[in-house]
Amino acid sequence: MTRVTLQYYAQLREQAGASSEQVNTAASTLRDLYAELQARHGFSLPIDALKVAVNTQFSDWNRLLSEGDTVVFIPPVAGG
Amino acid sequence: MNRFELTAAPVDLAAQREALKHPGSGGFCAFEGWVRNNNEGREVSGLEYEAYTELAIAEGERVLAEATERYGVLAASAVHRVGNLAIGDLAVWIGVSAPHRDEAFRACRYIIDEIKHRLPIWKKEHYLEGDHAWVACSHTERAHEMEPPHAHGHHHHPHAVVPAKAGTQCRQAVTRESLDPSVRWGDEQKGFAPDYSRQVRLREVGEDGQRKLANARVLVIGAGGLGVPVISYLAGAGVGTLGIVDGDVLDASNLHRQVMYDARDIGQRKVDLAARRVARLNPSVEVVTYEQPLHAGDITDVFAGYDLVVECTDDLASRYLANDAAVLTSTPLVLASVYQYEGQLQVVTAEPGEPCLRCLWPDPPAPALAGSCVESGVLGPVPGVLGTMQAMEALKLLLGLPQPADHALQLVNLLDGTSQRLPIDASRGCALHGGCVAVARRALERTHAEGELERHFERLEEAVHAGYAIVDVREADEIDATPLHVTSLRVPSGEISAYALVHLERPVLLVCASGRRSAHAARLLREQGVDAWSLAGGIAALAPA
Repeated sequence: MTRVTLQYYAQLREQAGASSEQVNTAASTLRDLYAELQARHGFSLPIDALKVAVNTQFSDWNRLLSEGDTVVFIPPVAGG
Repeated sequence: MNRFELTAAPVDLAAQREALKHPGSGGFCAFEGWVRNNNEGREVSGLEYEAYTELAIAEGERVLAEATERYGVLAASAVHRVGNLAIGDLAVWIGVSAPHRDEAFRACRYIIDEIKHRLPIWKKEHYLEGDHAWVACSHTERAHEMEPPHAHGHHHHPHAVVPAKAGTQCRQAVTRESLDPSVRWGDEQKGFAPDYSRQVRLREVGEDGQRKLANARVLVIGAGGLGVPVISYLAGAGVGTLGIVDGDVLDASNLHRQVMYDARDIGQRKVDLAARRVARLNPSVEVVTYEQPLHAGDITDVFAGYDLVVECTDDLASRYLANDAAVLTSTPLVLASVYQYEGQLQVVTAEPGEPCLRCLWPDPPAPALAGSCVESGVLGPVPGVLGTMQAMEALKLLLGLPQPADHALQLVNLLDGTSQRLPIDASRGCALHGGCVAVARRALERTHAEGELERHFERLEEAVHAGYAIVDVREADEIDATPLHVTSLRVPSGEISAYALVHLERPVLLVCASGRRSAHAARLLREQGVDAWSLAGGIAALAPA
């Protein structure tokens, strides 16, 4: 299990009910992690509508998770 | 007896002239200013004058008193029109009666020059091409400043000793001169002369920076929650020309976040309200308004006329279109968007090798995925903060202030007070698909092909507000099943013709279920000379009622 810190923005924050959380995950990649969270929180956004960043750098969805990573999921927002 | 009037009604010339009759008068001189059909090379179809009434009247009376003293005339009056005027209409009338013709001529000239120079009156020119510009009615050449000391020299008003400044070379410089506090409102109105000392004092700004701002042309797309602080701060900072694009009218639900508007302005076009606000905040700023959203066919031409663009709409399609046009015209673009309590900010420098919006999100997601202020809600200060950050980024670019070396997406969460910069790696973006320019060119061509007949609206009420006549081209049974909730003309697509619509005299928005039949009908009507548009995506694309 890997322990990671998650930060949510916009719709994801709303659906998760929190702007951040710490989780222990069995997922190995960011893609698997999002699928796991989608099932848990009922995220409506498909993965290809999102950007993901790890430790303040944008990242590929196939990146492997490391202990202590801070992962940020960023949906596009349109309001003005 | 002197009298200065502002009036929305035509001027009764005979009565004006009669009022100036005086037994001691040996000469009467009148000047009439008319609306002409062109200005600075552009064809004008009409114009609209707006005045800061109380101040215009007070200052107008002062001008008449000065002329009377200065030239020893017996009576002088002036009338300036406000409101809408057509070509050939009388815009201003000056009349002077004096013992001799010479004083009458000179006083008349003095009054018109000073009125043009000093009164807080703005004109909005309507051009034949369909756009508008607000122009401060100030000129700088004043004949009396070149005059040798006059026989009535002991009456000289302080204005007369201000030397004429020679050699002003550009429009901005001319405008600034006209706002020199010593020649404008007089001591009691000093607040009207821009005073940039607080920002000029910054070592990185200085007089050079102020000149850069005065010479800058900035386009602001969207005069809503983000646009309000952007427009306000850029006007306050003395940006020479502000272009403002917005197709909406002010709605009561806008006021909690669009704080430069008034409750009494509801229903008026935001571009007009914004232009009026800028004219009052800083009369030295020239405002150009665009009351239709930019589209793929005209956006690069518009961008080419500006040094910088700030995108402030709540519309993803507009943001992508602006990105593509910015990249293709090498115009820096400041993007921001908000969601409830947070926002995102990105500066697209439009320089080779530096990332654009599509480097991050190659294509716009479906509108339903992105959320809007209407559906998701937003707290007023959120666009206020993000718009203020956009204004800051715009000023940084215009002034050449120090910037981080990398390019980032900035995320701001105002609930927990956090902000983070995520550097964007340009080599992982459009570079993988031929580079930003190639990607933007392809995207713009696609948008152009799709969009030249289409208009996007979330609610048909918006289309009605924007001046479209709604024509429902569905069959009767479809209409019964899903009626529209706005007034519409029903003409099934198979029966559509220009003849059926000839009485509408407005742009026509055709509506069907998916946008296909309406696009086809719009194409047919265009060929018959009708200003016809198709609702993009049809009724299916409207926001749920």
